[in-house]
Amino acid sequence: MLCDECGKKEANVHLTHIINGKKTESHLCEECANKTQSIFNSSFSMENLFSAMLNNTFNAKTYLPKKGCSNCGMTYDEFRSIGKFGCSHCIDTFKHRLMPVVKSIQGYDSHTGKIPKRAGGKFKVQMDIKNLKAKLKSAVEREEYELAAKLRDEIHALEKKIQGDE
Amino acid sequence: MEDNIVISSRIRLARNLKNYKFPVYMTTEEANNVIAEVNYALNKERKNYDLIYMKELTDVQKNSLIENHLISPALAKKNDSGAFLLSPDKKISIMINEEDHIRIQTLGEGMSLKECWDLGNKVDDDLEEYVDYAFDKELGYVTSCPTNIGTGVRASVMLHLPALSITNQVEKFLYSISQLGIAVRGVYGEGTKSIGHLYQISNQGTLGASEETLIERITQIVMQIVEKERKTREHLKKNNYDELEDDFYRAYGLLTHARKMTTDEAMKLLSLIKLGGEMGITPMVIGKDIYKLMVKIQPNNISNLEGISMKERDKKRAEIIRNELLK
Repeated sequence: MLCDECGKKEANVHLTHIINGKKTESHLCEECANKTQSIFNSSFSMENLFSAMLNNTFNAKTYLPKKGCSNCGMTYDEFRSIGKFGCSHCIDTFKHRLMPVVKSIQGYDSHTGKIPKRAGGKFKVQMDIKNLKAKLKSAVEREEYELAAKLRDEIHALEKKIQGDE
Repeated sequence: MEDNIVISSRIRLARNLKNYKFPVYMTTEEANNVIAEVNYALNKERKNYDLIYMKELTDVQKNSLIENHLISPALAKKNDSGAFLLSPDKKISIMINEEDHIRIQTLGEGMSLKECWDLGNKVDDDLEEYVDYAFDKELGYVTSCPTNIGTGVRASVMLHLPALSITNQVEKFLYSISQLGIAVRGVYGEGTKSIGHLYQISNQGTLGASEETLIERITQIVMQIVEKERKTREHLKKNNYDELEDDFYRAYGLLTHARKMTTDEAMKLLSLIKLGGEMGITPMVIGKDIYKLMVKIQPNNISNLEGISMKERDKKRAEIIRNELLK
């Protein structure tokens, strides 16, 4: 396939643009692609920077299998160029490739904040127990036995709840 | 002396629904279903929020909402799929189908991140009773862009830093803050350039710290900036009183007598008299809400309220300012 732009060289860069839900594809040679890229990347938003990081980590020229997300069909190439997931399943599909990049931009690789009640399910209760146990430990260290007893009862109640659910 | 360095606080929570494709991939029909689900979840028992579709608004109305920080520029562009829910007191705005399915935003005056978080957290819980969130055990709330993953929380505080700005300290100071994982940008105007010495600071990362820790961290940093701004004001008052007094009165003179004024000029001068009032140098502006006036004179807010053409805006702006200051 020849380059859409100059029509002379072999097209080896394939771009997919989704603008307001409309998908367009362009096939360019490396030289023309560099020219267009500089136009697309003119605004320095977080997403653009992120997408650029993805491109740097995984050199655009290396071949990647076209296997995409089983739910929405997004391929890693598409994700790499847009910098956004297509659906909630993409995160599982791309996780192993994504983790190093997430860690480098966020500085961390695991969530320690709020856990939703329903979507979190049993996992939320487990985390609640973990947090309560930490509190219990510090209560015992501070010799606040009344609080410790209260916490112990709360932990027991939650553990029972998990067992009941199983 | 009462100062108003911390103007407002805002918490934003990014959430997505498990069973719908994310906004980059969704069809208009799916987008409408998401709007319907969110609207049902929050309005089913009694009408708590107004539902407003992007397609129902004119460009001027959209830009005016942006100037009032009720919606984002990205939502305004989603003409076919975007909508938002707004509480009557305008403190809660839930953007639907922006970059993420749901963006809960809560606004408060002054330093009120904690209150904003409590409010947003409550809306989040109410929503989750009825919708299925996308959540990953390791990475937390799944967002469209991995830069928001984890808590999905962006905590931001708007600051008025005229003394740090006119003494050319702001760039240096804000640069060192950015080293701590805090993003700084101008509120009106592009990038970090600020009009009216208004800056917004917010957390960069969303993963690895709990919401409370994050809010605590931002609060600490804001307190340090406020302290620095106050010290600089004291220093200026002691060493440059005559120059300041002259600057403030010149600004006041222009604002109360000019017949035409651009946004840039007005913002610059209003920032000065706001500082003058807070330092007790221009007592005639004490008790007037200058920040509110700064928002009111934004281009689309003038066009929206007065229904006037772009050509007449600068004239109208000067008139609004005169009326407000000489009232």
